Amino acid sequence: MVAPMTHEELEESVPLYAAGALDRIERQALEAHLLSGCTSCHSALKNYQSIAALLPLSLNPILPPRSLKAAIIAGRNPAPIPAEAAPGEPARQSLEPGEWMDHLFPPVAPARSSSLPWVLGLGTLLIVAVGGYVAWNLSTQRSIATANIHQLEASLKEKAANLAEVQREVSNQASALTDLRNQLQQRTTEAADAKEQLLQREGELEEMRVELSQRGNTRTAEIPQDELATLLRIPNAKAVSLTGSDMAKQAAGFLLYDARTKKAWLYSINLPECPNGTIYQLWAISNKPISVGTFDMAPGETAHLLVKKVPRFLDAKTFAVSLEPSSGSPQPTGPMYLLSRS
Amino acid sequence: MIDPTLLTRVVKGDQQAFSQLYDHSSTLLFTLAVRILGNHEEAAELLQDVYLEVWRKVSRYDVGRGTPIAWLITLTKSRAIDRLRARSSRGNQATNALEDGTAPPVADSGPSPLETQADEELRVAVKAAVAGLPLAQQQAIEFAYYEGLSYAEIAARLNQPMGTVKTRIKLGMSKLRDGLQQWGNHGGSNDA
Repeated sequence: MVAPMTHEELEESVPLYAAGALDRIERQALEAHLLSGCTSCHSALKNYQSIAALLPLSLNPILPPRSLKAAIIAGRNPAPIPAEAAPGEPARQSLEPGEWMDHLFPPVAPARSSSLPWVLGLGTLLIVAVGGYVAWNLSTQRSIATANIHQLEASLKEKAANLAEVQREVSNQASALTDLRNQLQQRTTEAADAKEQLLQREGELEEMRVELSQRGNTRTAEIPQDELATLLRIPNAKAVSLTGSDMAKQAAGFLLYDARTKKAWLYSINLPECPNGTIYQLWAISNKPISVGTFDMAPGETAHLLVKKVPRFLDAKTFAVSLEPSSGSPQPTGPMYLLSRS
Repeated sequence: MIDPTLLTRVVKGDQQAFSQLYDHSSTLLFTLAVRILGNHEEAAELLQDVYLEVWRKVSRYDVGRGTPIAWLITLTKSRAIDRLRARSSRGNQATNALEDGTAPPVADSGPSPLETQADEELRVAVKAAVAGLPLAQQQAIEFAYYEGLSYAEIAARLNQPMGTVKTRIKLGMSKLRDGLQQWGNHGGSNDA
């Protein structure tokens, strides 16, 4: 890399510049320095340039050919080109005098031969053709680019419209989904209510079933044989046998107790007919006798079935049947006819 | 001496002014072109190009930057050097007066009928100033001025150190400046 020239070196190069003795790099360095506004170098160069312009006067004059002037007059354009009519030419920054800045902007084609006009003509034609082609090509490319831009803009608008449509669709779907979710929530609530009602109905149904069962039991009392047959199939039913006392040695009884339904069945046989004003009364005896129920033995009746609800029956260890007044007694008062063995 | 208003008229398309401009400058410019190119035909061709360029670009001339003849001389010299370099790059070395020691053929010489007394005095002064330079300085300046050689190229051609050639040119130009100071602002005048 070449070290930058000092101002002293630049100043010393001014007379060499005026004589045309600098190489390209030094010339450009000085020109850059002059253009930077160094007044002393500018003034020195002005001096040396004016002296250099005098040097041809030291030559012995040679007259040009007489035909030269006519050729020049004939070859020039109708009128000189004004400064403002020379586009593309950089503004002259030269200092003094004349064309020294030509070194800064050297001619493109310095040499011309005898065929120069033809070469220049062809070159100009080529430049015009190439320029025209480039301009046409640029214009075409610009048109294509413009068309592409318009096409892209139209496509973009279409995509934007589609996107808006999709967004509306999504919004509608979201709204519908929200409605469905609300409906589902409502249905779920309704289902929960229905389930609750169903449970309630099931409870009511169970109660009704129990009631019906109770009513069925009543009917069983009317048809005790059927219920007794059912009771006999229950594995956990408690069975107690009763035997006749001295009052009725031929008499016997069989008592069944169902803890689930808290019902007691007494099947008695060969008990004597109840005298008028009396009635048989069944007792469950734990610590003290508890009345289970009463029954009558009509004339000629040999067997009887008594079915009663006995809430507190589990603790009873002994069962007995006594003859009591027809209204029944809170405690056994009459003679015992049947007694359990335990 | 060329009146700057002459160029102003040329700018306006005054063909008569252009004709006068040619009459006042063509001999000096042709002499310069022949000195650089060493060939009359090529010099005439160059001059034709220069004047056509002047005709087209005369509006660019700024009187504040120098005299009209200085502008024309610089333009002619620049174009001639360019042509000389192009020729050298093609391997067709020009015959140079300083190299072979012979002057270019003079087809027609002598003072122009348009030359004034002041012009003649200037010509004499310049000739004297150049002749007063040591031969080595004169030779170095002419190599640079008329052949477009850099001091490095001149040093190579003369087989001299570059610093020596630089010094010769600087000293020579300084002496010319000192000797022609009173003429410097006049530049070249009319047809020599």
